[in-house]
Amino acid sequence: MSHQSLIRHSWRSELRVLAAIAHKEWTLFRRYPSWMAAFVIWPVLFPLGYVFVGRTLGGPNGADTATFQQLTGTSDYLSYIVIGSTLYMWLNMTLWDVGFQLRAEQMRGTLESNWLCPIPRISILLGSTITKLGTALIFLLITVVEFWVVFGVRLWQGDVRLLLLLLLLAIASIYGIAMAFASLVLRFKEANAMVFMVRGLFLVFCGITYPIAVMPGWMRTISAVLPLTYAIHAIRAVTLSQATFTQIWPDIQWLLVFAVVLPILGYVAFAVTERRARRSGTLGQY
Amino acid sequence: MVQGHLLQPSWQSHLRAILAIARKDWLHFKRYPLNALFRIIQPIMWITPIYFLGKSFATGGTNAGFASYAGTNDYMSFILIGTILSSYISSVFWGMGFSLKEDMDSGVLESNWLLPLPRVLFLIGQTVASITITTINGLLVLVLGWLLFGFQIHGNILPAVLVMVPMLIALYGFGFAFAGLVLLLKEANTLVDVSDFVVSMLSGSRFPVQVLPRLLLPLALALPLTYGYDAVRGLLIGSHTLLPIGIEVGILLVAMVLMTLLGSAVFRRIERRSRRLGTIGMH
Repeated sequence: MSHQSLIRHSWRSELRVLAAIAHKEWTLFRRYPSWMAAFVIWPVLFPLGYVFVGRTLGGPNGADTATFQQLTGTSDYLSYIVIGSTLYMWLNMTLWDVGFQLRAEQMRGTLESNWLCPIPRISILLGSTITKLGTALIFLLITVVEFWVVFGVRLWQGDVRLLLLLLLLAIASIYGIAMAFASLVLRFKEANAMVFMVRGLFLVFCGITYPIAVMPGWMRTISAVLPLTYAIHAIRAVTLSQATFTQIWPDIQWLLVFAVVLPILGYVAFAVTERRARRSGTLGQY
Repeated sequence: MVQGHLLQPSWQSHLRAILAIARKDWLHFKRYPLNALFRIIQPIMWITPIYFLGKSFATGGTNAGFASYAGTNDYMSFILIGTILSSYISSVFWGMGFSLKEDMDSGVLESNWLLPLPRVLFLIGQTVASITITTINGLLVLVLGWLLFGFQIHGNILPAVLVMVPMLIALYGFGFAFAGLVLLLKEANTLVDVSDFVVSMLSGSRFPVQVLPRLLLPLALALPLTYGYDAVRGLLIGSHTLLPIGIEVGILLVAMVLMTLLGSAVFRRIERRSRRLGTIGMH
């Protein structure tokens, strides 16, 4: 006797699953208006802490920016800091949002029942990632508009097609990291400490407020294996120095590698966690 | 018939209660060693980008731009002192602010509230634990700062510590009111996060407040904490102060009295309201 399943998987059914999960996440997001307030406040507030430090170091009337200009090729420390800190905020937000996705379901007690749905389990993570990506893009847009309106800083200068390419490569890298991270959080459970560690690594080594050249050699070696280092460097080059494709090709090469490797790593981490959770029966434990 | 009461409250019994509450918080802190470790590492992580930002502006190893505002070349000591003082602000906003809310969430607030103790003692006990933990934490951060960034003190430590006393009492007095507010609002993460960041930034934790734009400078000067940061730095590393240190200490003393009175008044009012409405257990 052959078993016949009532489920008929097709690419359309998979799309419907993704859309349903993304919609559920969007509904959750809209239920907390204070999250929206944070979206408006933080893009300006967070970089300001560093911008005022830059203003202090630049001295009265910005007379002491010679070394900075020599190292970075620009005296516009405001835009320089804003680009780095915005990309860092994006990563930080994604680590909390996507990284905590499976853990949040686990805490709410819905992960096990969702796991029983006849769908590819990666959809549970991918669907919510779609919403988180959408909200992150809104966040980036708000940042660009706020800095233009409040400080007169235009963050979309240079070749816009190049900026979009860099954004695309950064998306693949950042969300690949976040997916791997979500699986690790599900496995080790001590989520806060893990976010502090991972975001700290990027905060210290990616040059979010300063040129990599001022770091000692051993720190530069670590920064060379982090995708955000290349994304920040390339976006600054395009925006502040109107760099061309050829000039940022070394950064793009690295970002391409990260954009392919990190999502695969994210998928593998998820598959391993999923298999382990089924074998050990620990999915519902927290 | 004269009704006898088994309770004999005295200042000694109150002190015992405060120490018991502080000990409970200390035990909580010790139970999460990874979190304790990150409380030391995190401030170092936050100031590393500021350290390298300083290096990227420095000429011949000194930051002339910074020196012309602060009156000292010791950029990293300036930043480290600001970081340590900010950790007290964070512990008031996050620790004190959420202290009652956490008790409420874990379901122990109602039973604690039934104890025959003045309720303000709960907050005083938490303040003792918070100041102890934050101070130990701050000292460890300073040791790390000395190893990594060459932190050094040129001035007298004792007067600086004495200046910190009214500043911390004022801060924790404000924390009493804030704890009550969070208890009322219940879902206040964004409020707490933003307030902590804004107060710390405007007080000049990372830079001399003179660099702030004209729109923000009055706000900075209206915060008593600004004078606390300024006086402590003036005493420890000899930086320029906004006002003579004696006047800054006077402002801190006035703030201490006002904030303590205001904090306990707000707390008492919210406590009475919660008892009347019976909302202590709701969250």
